[in-house]
Amino acid sequence: MSSLSFFRLKVMGILLTIVGGLIILQVIRIQNSAEARSLSADAIKNYDYEERKIYPERGSIFDRWGRLLAGNKEVYEVGVDIRYVKNPETIAQMAHEILELDYDTIYNRITKDYVNSNIQYVVLSDFVPLEKITAISETKENYKRLTPLNKGEKLPSLEGVLWTPHLQRSYPENALASNIIGFYSYKDRDQGRGYFGVEEKYNDLLAGSPIIVQVPRDPYKVREVPTVAPGASIVLTIDKDIQANMESIAANAMKRNGATSVTIVVMNPKNGEILAMASTPNLNLNEYWKYGEIFPDPTPFNRAIGQTYEPGSVFKVLTMAAAIDAGVVTPDTPFLDTGEVEIGGYTIYNWDRNAWGPQTMTTCMQHSLNVCLTWVAQQLGPTRFYQYLQAFGIGRKTNIDLAGEVNFPLALPGDNNWYPINLGTNSFGQGVAATPLQMITAVGALANDGKMMAPHILQSVVENGRQYNNTPQVIGNPISAKSARTISQLLAVSLEEEASDALVDGYRVAGKTGTAEIPGPNGYVSNLTNASFVGWGPVDDPRFVVYIWLEKPKSSMWGSIVAAPVFSQVVQSLVVSLKLPPDTIRQGLVQK
Amino acid sequence: MTAITQKLEQAYKQAPWRTQVQWSGMFLLVVISFVMVAGLYLSISAQAATAGLDIQDLQVQKDETTRRMADLRNQLAYLTSDQVMEKRAKDLGFKLNRIDDPTYLIIPNYAGRELASMAPPPGLDMIPSPVLRPAYTQSLWEWLFQGVLSYSDPSLGANQ
Repeated sequence: MSSLSFFRLKVMGILLTIVGGLIILQVIRIQNSAEARSLSADAIKNYDYEERKIYPERGSIFDRWGRLLAGNKEVYEVGVDIRYVKNPETIAQMAHEILELDYDTIYNRITKDYVNSNIQYVVLSDFVPLEKITAISETKENYKRLTPLNKGEKLPSLEGVLWTPHLQRSYPENALASNIIGFYSYKDRDQGRGYFGVEEKYNDLLAGSPIIVQVPRDPYKVREVPTVAPGASIVLTIDKDIQANMESIAANAMKRNGATSVTIVVMNPKNGEILAMASTPNLNLNEYWKYGEIFPDPTPFNRAIGQTYEPGSVFKVLTMAAAIDAGVVTPDTPFLDTGEVEIGGYTIYNWDRNAWGPQTMTTCMQHSLNVCLTWVAQQLGPTRFYQYLQAFGIGRKTNIDLAGEVNFPLALPGDNNWYPINLGTNSFGQGVAATPLQMITAVGALANDGKMMAPHILQSVVENGRQYNNTPQVIGNPISAKSARTISQLLAVSLEEEASDALVDGYRVAGKTGTAEIPGPNGYVSNLTNASFVGWGPVDDPRFVVYIWLEKPKSSMWGSIVAAPVFSQVVQSLVVSLKLPPDTIRQGLVQK
Repeated sequence: MTAITQKLEQAYKQAPWRTQVQWSGMFLLVVISFVMVAGLYLSISAQAATAGLDIQDLQVQKDETTRRMADLRNQLAYLTSDQVMEKRAKDLGFKLNRIDDPTYLIIPNYAGRELASMAPPPGLDMIPSPVLRPAYTQSLWEWLFQGVLSYSDPSLGANQ
């Protein structure tokens, strides 16, 4: 090799080394520039991790025996990733035939909308059931197998169509116990919440806490996604079978009597557990958006807790219990009924405006004499009378664990809206208002040796693999055990003497009918009434208290005619559901 | 300088290819070492990536199973719902139990139907916690240290 060639090679080598060095320097410079750092940070932010909000599964709702009343089912969101669409006509056709959507709307959304706004993903439909997804999937696979007959032929294709599963609130019993359960607005996937009943009352508990997690796309960085604990499940005190029977009886009673509404509440007086709470109308909770249609304003969702009314003569039970407890009267205390009594400048008459002559407290209750009960309240005096009413919880919410409980304040002596006549009218349940639940809670004390239990619908909460049971609570002792037994016997005798339609063969029950006039803007002028019945049994060992309210029945205005037979029906159904033998058999079993 | 060293120096001087072989061998050693480390790194990286993908896959399966369980519970509830059961009972010829129908018997020590028990009460530690073998959490040093300890004191046992 000549020296010239060697020199040239040497120069070339030096030049190439310099160029190579410069390239390396430039690479280092670019990699360390501010733009590169920014780009790298953006890439990490946008592509390394995906931010995902994980919603826990909403807790289930069960009846007292663990039967599901509210759960979740799997449904799908169907959408289109427009970048992969090959044939928008096929997709629009599929959406029309399977998802029952409008062809033109869908076609425009996946063609024109995409061009205009540059969106990449379009939701076609949500809450699609599995059967439809199966149909879409099969169609998509069939189209994939097609081969073009001619060059350039446009084949049908569902490329780009995607479906994502998620859970949807579901109520397998449809309308059963709807007034207790309430509903969850599942169509609003981000802002959905519970409305009414336990769905609203325990919304936070059922919903759990959603979490936001950073899910790495890089498989090297993948870690287990934190487990989101599902929402707590709750077990209610209601018995699905009893609830179904009560709803059926309520619907029949409403139809038979032409009533505006019917409410039936069944409670265990020993612990305050609500076994059933039927209220009309009902709502299929899977179609909760029909709420406004079924409950036009101001119809309450659950009349047992959401509507106060003047209960009428069923209230006499509380007046008589108070008087017996105070020692003012006994069941045999005589009273001469003259058919009218004057109080506060007004005259009060009996329901039939007749004088019933010599009576005892038992027959006063048997014949539901307003004049007699006014006299009893006068014997008690306003101070003690209202002390007893307050002790029974009248004028105060029961604080049951259901959303939407209302209350009507009790007018007391000294209040602007209290007049001396109130003592008389209040004694037989007019001029005072209460919800059916307030009434059954108060009367429950008479069936439980004077102990008033907190009414409740929650039996237990199941959270984090543990079951926490609700403990029954005594919320008052308005009367003594002795007085409670005395009034129970009095009311059992009065029903038997009256040969009431409420009686049930083989089972001794205590109770009282009620017929209340309905106040309007011009006073009590309407012929329509509220018919009620409150009763409990078996008298020697009460296992249930039942409250019945028929609003504005048209077949008859009297509680003894429309409400008492309903009570009998309810008890006949209850004793079978509760496996309660007739009194003679039960007492025989106890003795053995 | 020992005789052996002198002999080696003489041998290299006499045969320069030996020096070249030595250099080549060293170079190859470096290359092979590098390839081995790279291969090991690639293997472990591939396993890590596979494990990562498995985790993602299992996560998806877990979510699917959770949804499926909820869905099946719901389907079962629908199949045993009041309306469906009433219809099935009627179709099978059953009639509603009336007040006079039941016959009551004494069953000694029968406390009646028990309320729903969906989970153990608080305070009972009945749910076993997941157990991971130490081999999955120990570092290499801990594993060696544990091994030496168990070797020197058999009562400690091998902690795998």
